[in-house]
Amino acid sequence: MSSWIDYTVNGIIIGNIYALLAVGLALIFGVSRLINFAHGSVYVVGAYAGFLAVTHLGTPLPVTIVIVLVVGALLGLVIERFGLRPLQGYAHIAPLLATIGISFVLDQLVQLFFTPDPRAVPSSLLEVRFQIGSGTIGALDLVIAGIGLASAGLLYYFLRFTRLGWAVRATAQDRDAAQQMGVDVDAVNRTVFAIASGLGAVSGLLVGMYYNYIDPSMSFQATLKGVVAQVVGGVGNVPGAIVGSLLLGLVESYGIALFGTSYRNLFAFVLLVIVLVWRPNGLFASKRQTPPEPMTGTFIAPSKPVQIPGKVLVGAAVVAALLPLVFPHPYVLQTLTNSWLYALLGLSLTLIAGTVGLVSLGHAGLLAIGGYASALLAINCGVPVGLAILSAGLIAALLGTLMAFPAFRLRGHYLSIATLAIGEIVSLVILNWEWLTRGPIGLSGIPPLSLFGIELDTDRSIYWFTLAVLVVLAALQFRLLGSHLGRVLRAVRDDDVAARSYGIGLNRYKALAFAVGSFAAGISGGITSHLYSYINHETFNAQLSILALTIVILGGMGNVTGAIVGSILLVGLPEVFRVAAEYRVLIYGLVLLLLVRFRPQGLLGTV
Amino acid sequence: MPVLHRRFLLGASAALLLGRAAQAEPAKGEPITMGVSGPLTGPNAQYGAQWKQGFDLALEEINTDGGIKGRPLAYVFEDTQSDPRQSVAVAQKFVANPKIVVELGDFASPASMAASPIYQRGKLVQFGFTNSHPDFTKGGDYMWSNSVSQADEQPLSAAYAVKRLGLKRIAVLHLNTDWGRTSKDVFVKTAKELGAEIVATEGYLPDEKDFRSTIVRVRDAKPDGVMLMSYYSDAALICRQLKQAGLTLPIVAASSVFSPKFIELGGDAVEGVHTASRYFPDDPRPQVRNFVTKFKAKYGKDPDAFNAYAYDTIMVMAKVMREFGTDRKSIHDGLAKVKDVPSIIFGKATFDPRTRRVDGAMSVELVVKDGKFQLNEPQAAVR
Repeated sequence: MSSWIDYTVNGIIIGNIYALLAVGLALIFGVSRLINFAHGSVYVVGAYAGFLAVTHLGTPLPVTIVIVLVVGALLGLVIERFGLRPLQGYAHIAPLLATIGISFVLDQLVQLFFTPDPRAVPSSLLEVRFQIGSGTIGALDLVIAGIGLASAGLLYYFLRFTRLGWAVRATAQDRDAAQQMGVDVDAVNRTVFAIASGLGAVSGLLVGMYYNYIDPSMSFQATLKGVVAQVVGGVGNVPGAIVGSLLLGLVESYGIALFGTSYRNLFAFVLLVIVLVWRPNGLFASKRQTPPEPMTGTFIAPSKPVQIPGKVLVGAAVVAALLPLVFPHPYVLQTLTNSWLYALLGLSLTLIAGTVGLVSLGHAGLLAIGGYASALLAINCGVPVGLAILSAGLIAALLGTLMAFPAFRLRGHYLSIATLAIGEIVSLVILNWEWLTRGPIGLSGIPPLSLFGIELDTDRSIYWFTLAVLVVLAALQFRLLGSHLGRVLRAVRDDDVAARSYGIGLNRYKALAFAVGSFAAGISGGITSHLYSYINHETFNAQLSILALTIVILGGMGNVTGAIVGSILLVGLPEVFRVAAEYRVLIYGLVLLLLVRFRPQGLLGTV
Repeated sequence: MPVLHRRFLLGASAALLLGRAAQAEPAKGEPITMGVSGPLTGPNAQYGAQWKQGFDLALEEINTDGGIKGRPLAYVFEDTQSDPRQSVAVAQKFVANPKIVVELGDFASPASMAASPIYQRGKLVQFGFTNSHPDFTKGGDYMWSNSVSQADEQPLSAAYAVKRLGLKRIAVLHLNTDWGRTSKDVFVKTAKELGAEIVATEGYLPDEKDFRSTIVRVRDAKPDGVMLMSYYSDAALICRQLKQAGLTLPIVAASSVFSPKFIELGGDAVEGVHTASRYFPDDPRPQVRNFVTKFKAKYGKDPDAFNAYAYDTIMVMAKVMREFGTDRKSIHDGLAKVKDVPSIIFGKATFDPRTRRVDGAMSVELVVKDGKFQLNEPQAAVR
């Protein structure tokens, strides 16, 4: 029994840490309707600024906190000014991509300045510990809780009782109306970014001291947990974010208590999906507060797509097919083969996110399902590889649609976060379902690609095979978009109320699109597993889902050609920048930012 | 044609210009180039940085000592972020570049093993020096590894925990990766054979930082000792949180905690942690003395396990190339024939041509005392 007290205390302590992150994310979301993927990077910068202050200047804790707060706030201002303000007025998807680009740049800068080695952050606090239950808590736990509560209290006061706070809330409710009433919306945005980033930076410092450990790669996990926590509480809701964080911490802790450590994140993400399905606007969404989460349509930039004549497309396909004959360099062919495989993933997501408006952040899950299905069929049942890949597509279509079905009633960001959770759940189920997937050991000895008994064992044959699959699926998707069905799907995206009043069964069409899209992703995963010959639960990780979304946004939502172009660029650019060695990810991030800046609707525009 | 990184080549030749007078003439002329595929950016970047330190030290030594038959040895490091998508592209790049005579790496199994079919088809040796995955060398006869196999290492840890420290009820915390999982399985099996009971096993993900609830679970299983299958950074976190939870149990950890960072990150919480390592800084073996002294002089810190793996690997390659030739085929054939390469990890390394691995890692039982890894007296290095 006493252990349960310990688990509860531990859950609250961890929830406390998540809260520091979630509050900042919630503030920014409340005002800008933006999930700030750079928040974790601000947290890392804060941790390193604190590290410098403590180790080089020997500052005491309160001074360190002030320094870090200022650094974080200044960084927030810079992010707002150069990353996001230029994108105002475009749909929300462009700033989202901008924050992804900013996070690449910041993480990489920190790594270049401080080396990738982890560092210890000495805490200047006394090592006093208090007995609670049969465990102990330390002074730093109390400081973290105090800062969490104090910042929540100050925020409450600021939002309720100051003029600027009123302006922030007004802007959050209706940006245009606020502007008409004379609110300086830019000033509001600046303030919010400064406050949120200051808090984010301080949480990086405190967490670094808490664990006596910081490294430049801890930002992604921080963003992930913070986002989950704030969505559980209802996006954009500051008190909700705190309660959501505590709940997340508790569920993780109880999950460990009941089933063991390797189920920890599984529980967190299952909780998230349940909360979202049960309360589609988060636990604490009140009627009064309902800022209508953007109708699916406003999420996506309306624009005129670049018209590319059919002849040019056919010509491009022919050139791609002839390339291995004139320029048979295996490295180039491999990079392009990778591009074709990611273009398949892009086709899948551009249909689901672009054409129907379901912005999925868990697409790597579909790759994983396809990869494992094809590999297991080929290894355990001796199914010929070609057939196994085809079956993998069908299995991904079926499982993907079934899993995403409960999420179809969600909108906008809630749907994105639900799919993110579903993607993580797939990966964690693969990790824990050992008799089938061999858990972390992974599947090795996956048979190589072959078709009708002929092994595809040259770089050219693999290149042609993937290109052919891509061309066929892309052609089908063109047909689909041009058909009546394609128009229905776009109608669902642009205005679901209008679509429903025309008698369109929304869920059926969403499911249909999801199934078609998942098929392409499953095929891509299947081919990948046979190319790699070894996969485990880390092969298809969450970063791939982000890459998929980046491909789609960059190419233009719903745009088939755009998905292919986006994939060639995003897979190819890191290879092109190889000469820059350690700087290449930095350059990649900057290029991404410039592309968003000048083509916020995507290179080829939304279809 | 892929462009060679001139930076590295220049670095190598600068190193040999500055090199002190050695037994032989410094190497000059066209360098012999090895390809390295590994993480320089991304979450595993720290390990790539450690590889480089080990490589550079070994190359300096070899190139001031005549290089390979008078030619300098060099490497090209291609960053893959330990991501399979990039490691396969890099594999094609290396295979297509006739200047690359052997490939070293990648770091994690998914990235390394995804590239194996390409190296096998291209008949370029893929030398996975941190690849302990039991299936790595099964990818084909061009996959070789001098990584310590867990079937080799973990029985030594189990013997340390059960026989030496007399633990009877052990709780095992392991990284839930292919390495951690394989290690745990071997350890649990051997420990049971030696008569200990395993009261809890908990697998955690590499990016986890909070272990408080895991520790409550461990505590409730009433162990008399804890075994950590961890890298140094997560092991340090666990030790600190064990101490904060008021659990003062003997802790044994896998040899990958052997790093000055472990002590820096763990502080006084890692005092008394045991590990069965392959070598230690005050090791009397001459090659270890040479390695530790030179490493300290060059980088101002003690070397860790990953530095040693990288250093050893270059030494293996140099000996193979000196004795059997510098083209791809000679290196492949030479690995099967080379005998008794002086090694930090193995004492003397000889590959088993059947498994393409090396058996018989050295073992010294260490304990952290006064903020340093020290020999757990009274005993001498075994084997």
